Amino acid sequence: MGKKSVDLMLKIENLVTEYGAVRALDGVSFTAAEGKITTVIGANGAGKSTLLRTISGLENSKSGQIVWADKSLIGKAPESIVRSGIAHVPEGHAVIPQLTVAENIEMGSLFRRRNFRSDVKLAMEEVCELFPRLAERSKQLAGTLSGGERQMLAISRALVSRPKLLLLDEPSLGLAPLVVEQIIQTVNDLCRKSGLTVLLVEQNANTALAVADYGVLLSLGKVVANLPAAELKADASLRAAYLGY
Amino acid sequence: MEQFLTAVFAGTASGSIYALVALGLVLVWRGAGVINFAQMGQAMFSTYVASTLIMNGYSYWIAFFVALAVGTALGTAIDLLVMRPLSGKRGSAILASPAMRATVPVIASLGILGILQSAAGMIWAAEERGFPAPVSTLGLSFGGEIMPFTAFDLFVIGIVLVTLIITTIFFQKTGMGLAMRASALNPEVARLSGIRTSSVRTLSWAISGAASSLAGLLVTPSANLSPNTLDLILIIGFTATVIGGLDSLPGGVIGGFILGLVISFVNVYSSPSDIFLAILALLLIVLLVRPQGILGSKEVRRV
Repeated sequence: MGKKSVDLMLKIENLVTEYGAVRALDGVSFTAAEGKITTVIGANGAGKSTLLRTISGLENSKSGQIVWADKSLIGKAPESIVRSGIAHVPEGHAVIPQLTVAENIEMGSLFRRRNFRSDVKLAMEEVCELFPRLAERSKQLAGTLSGGERQMLAISRALVSRPKLLLLDEPSLGLAPLVVEQIIQTVNDLCRKSGLTVLLVEQNANTALAVADYGVLLSLGKVVANLPAAELKADASLRAAYLGY
Repeated sequence: MEQFLTAVFAGTASGSIYALVALGLVLVWRGAGVINFAQMGQAMFSTYVASTLIMNGYSYWIAFFVALAVGTALGTAIDLLVMRPLSGKRGSAILASPAMRATVPVIASLGILGILQSAAGMIWAAEERGFPAPVSTLGLSFGGEIMPFTAFDLFVIGIVLVTLIITTIFFQKTGMGLAMRASALNPEVARLSGIRTSSVRTLSWAISGAASSLAGLLVTPSANLSPNTLDLILIIGFTATVIGGLDSLPGGVIGGFILGLVISFVNVYSSPSDIFLAILALLLIVLLVRPQGILGSKEVRRV
């Protein structure tokens, strides 16, 4: 008998996350479809980063549900959530500057090494192919990299854990437009070629909507629109009201 | 010249022991964010166990490895029974502020020190006892000439060097070592990479416990054993970590050797009563010139 196929869909229902008295997420619901790019856009303080941090287990939700591959993620620790196939690249080029480039990448594969030794090697090679500049600099300390290279490194660290769902938090932050374009295109290719599901948080709505399939517009912790990306992009009134252009 | 060489060898030998103590302290500081005042209490306890085994006719080496095992077990137990439950109570009123979260585990370690010292006093009575060295502690003679070092000095230096090499390989070349470094540098990114940081913390305590029990075994032949003889070694070891840089493993080791040599030279060329003055002066100079320690990173000073 064939295995029952698991639906690799991320389903978020009525999610509430609070920092003390501040309600950062106020009943957020949406789904991220398998093999698609869903972008979460909105102004500063809309709750975008909190959303990703709650999914990856860095923040505890107050109420609501997060379902991934038919299982609830509520109450799970980040290190277990990675094991279920979700990799989070947090805001600000999250690498460890005191470690070398190779060590930063290897770090993301440590938990898989015992069981998937050969696959880990393959994953490392794929990452090096994806970002040849990192391969050249593998012995250098991550602290010596440029901002764009750090972001590539942070993404590589996430990819060697072989995720099915990639949570990307503001990959464009502080980077030159050309570098942003390269990174976004790489993520787009990954999604189209290997069926990776992507949840992309961006302040730069234009860049994100250009590659995304669906757009979720957040404002003050609430979903104000959840539409196919093209429709969201075309909606002048939503843009004017929430994105300011 | 002979005096000079004596000072160098004695200083290197005692310095290597301080380096071990510093290694234990830095491990727990980096891995768990705690200055562990119970460390030499753990060492005292495991050395008493070894001493009891030897008094009951077991060989030095059996006692040696049992003591290392006891040290490792004590370190693990402190984390599992005290530190982990404490960090689980983050929500409680007393642990609400970051300052208290940093302080309470340190106070707990002082409590553990008290418990270990009292327990040792109850089990083994509080009298001082000697602890044997596996090799001679008298100056080696070589072709009729008395050398400025003892066989035990060489034994200590050799064992500590091997330990330092193993530790370096572990941290630089193994996945577990990488996991420990990553968890210490950035726990959030480490957890997102799938590293179980709480297990890594326990491992830090365990390795630190092993290192300190080794220090206890190596220092007691020249210091006698009583429930609080090793307090002084903790103070010197802690000074070594501050001099070398609280968050740097090589720094702590270098600090240990520097202190060992300084103490030894003051001892030989001045008088033993000047030792603490010299340590204090050295500490002051380092804190004035390079407050983060020789190899420490700047951020740690905000604590």
